[in-house]
Amino acid sequence: MQDMGRRGYISQAVPVSGAMDALSARMANIALGNDGNAAVIEFTYANAEFIAETGILIAYAGDGAILSLAIGDIPADRPVFIPAGTTVKLNNDLSGSRTYLAVAGGWDVPEVLGSKSTYLTASIGGLQGRQLRAGDELNSIDQFTTSTTKTILDNLQSDSPNYTDWSLGRQLLLPADRKTIRVMRGNEFDWFDSNSQSDFFTTPYTLSLRSNRMGYQLDGCGMKRIKWDELLSTAVTPGTIQVTGGGSPVLLMADCQTTGGYPRIAQVAAVDLSLCGQLKPGDTIYFKEISRHDAEMLYLEREKQLAKLANAVRNRYL
Amino acid sequence: MQATATVESFLNIYALNEQAVTIEFGSVINEDVFQKVSAFNNLVNKRPFPGFYTTVPAYTTLTVFFDALLVIQSNLSGADCFEKVSGYLAGLKGKQNITNTLSETITIPVCYGSDFGPDLDEVANHTKLTVQEVINLHSAAVYKVYMIGFVPGFAYMGGMDEKLTTPRKSTPRGVVPAGSVGIAGQQTGIYPLQTPGGWQIIGRTPLKMFDANQSRPALLKAGDLVVFKQITQQQFDHLSNNSDADTNY
Repeated sequence: MQDMGRRGYISQAVPVSGAMDALSARMANIALGNDGNAAVIEFTYANAEFIAETGILIAYAGDGAILSLAIGDIPADRPVFIPAGTTVKLNNDLSGSRTYLAVAGGWDVPEVLGSKSTYLTASIGGLQGRQLRAGDELNSIDQFTTSTTKTILDNLQSDSPNYTDWSLGRQLLLPADRKTIRVMRGNEFDWFDSNSQSDFFTTPYTLSLRSNRMGYQLDGCGMKRIKWDELLSTAVTPGTIQVTGGGSPVLLMADCQTTGGYPRIAQVAAVDLSLCGQLKPGDTIYFKEISRHDAEMLYLEREKQLAKLANAVRNRYL
Repeated sequence: MQATATVESFLNIYALNEQAVTIEFGSVINEDVFQKVSAFNNLVNKRPFPGFYTTVPAYTTLTVFFDALLVIQSNLSGADCFEKVSGYLAGLKGKQNITNTLSETITIPVCYGSDFGPDLDEVANHTKLTVQEVINLHSAAVYKVYMIGFVPGFAYMGGMDEKLTTPRKSTPRGVVPAGSVGIAGQQTGIYPLQTPGGWQIIGRTPLKMFDANQSRPALLKAGDLVVFKQITQQQFDHLSNNSDADTNY
């Protein structure tokens, strides 16, 4: 169970957590007229199925699974009404790894330290601070935050599965090449020799098996240091690419620690962090340099696009 | 303790990402740099800018986090968020004396040795001290919390007697219980949660170093002073039972 993360306690070393692919998580919520920070279920790969005990309005987005019913697949990025008693199955989608399931009103789990996100190391957030497992019963919040959600539900409610003829088209927001990750130089970029710097931007990196919600260990050209100063631990954040003592880059992800002491060669642009959230061990990526200013402009533009989409859904159900 | 430091200069200010900037106040760990970080941390929190939401103080840096959408809409001057925020922060330099939050002295009871401190003998061997000398030196010092990082509630502390310096274990343990007190190089620290770890474990405290049910979940904060007090196994059990009762389990 994840939302947009726990931002208020990083000074006490509580990781941000939140959805690994925040874009997909938000898309699923936007499709339902939910608050963008409503809790969603993050499925990693597809070995899951659930039964709707009551009629529910859901939406899903992501690249790890395709949801299906006995009668066929459910389209993503749009509201879908599932009648009571229906079994929904997740089938593997090999293009990515994570899929987000939102429900009208959001999943009802308690807020811990200002967020519903699960953080396993401290056993907090989500459902009892743990991963979901077979037999769990989840409820949605009945009190919808917006009238849009209510109107969508009224329009779609029926005796059989039902969905809208429109979708949000998440693909339109994504670059054609999802394996090229835009990054800006990290503060310690100059601590590496020029060959390493150029290798970093021109050679492929592969996610190793040692990859999880905390970070990805990257196999590929090692980075050679020319400056051996000790870096005193300082703040790091999801998207920071550190280089460990052995010269391997490590890409920090949602559950990463809040401070680190390894030199930082790069920082993934916020707009491309969601692409990283879909990677799985064995995937090969390239890094492409962009400026700090451009990264910021891309972020602001993305936020504008998402606000526009949320508005479009609202206007459709006025 | 109160600080009256004014911040005259930053060494550097850089973007950590689109929504955070890091200010460097020095390049070595010392009291002067620590005071500058603390003083500026208090100042920013007292005089926030539109979109500001939190700070992360570290040994020589302060990182300031903000919501880029609110910053860009603000009337701070600058072509983008980084310019707006770094310009605002630079404008705070040299502002009049800032009073730090009072730092507290926190006593951490520790039961040294036995199952709680499986590496106590190893530390004694390495340092050529007796077990009791290790305990005495460890519990005689006053430690200062420089920063919280690594895992929730973990305090990086300075002030350990150099005689206790012991390298990390060559093979880290898969599981180190919450409350374990350890030594790594010239540092000492307390594991707030059960995690893997490579520190030499010399004892355990019954205190909860991190408790998500509290409004301030981490027991320690940067600037706090810490002393360790040796307790017996019996006192440990008594204190553990009490802390369980407090949280209504």
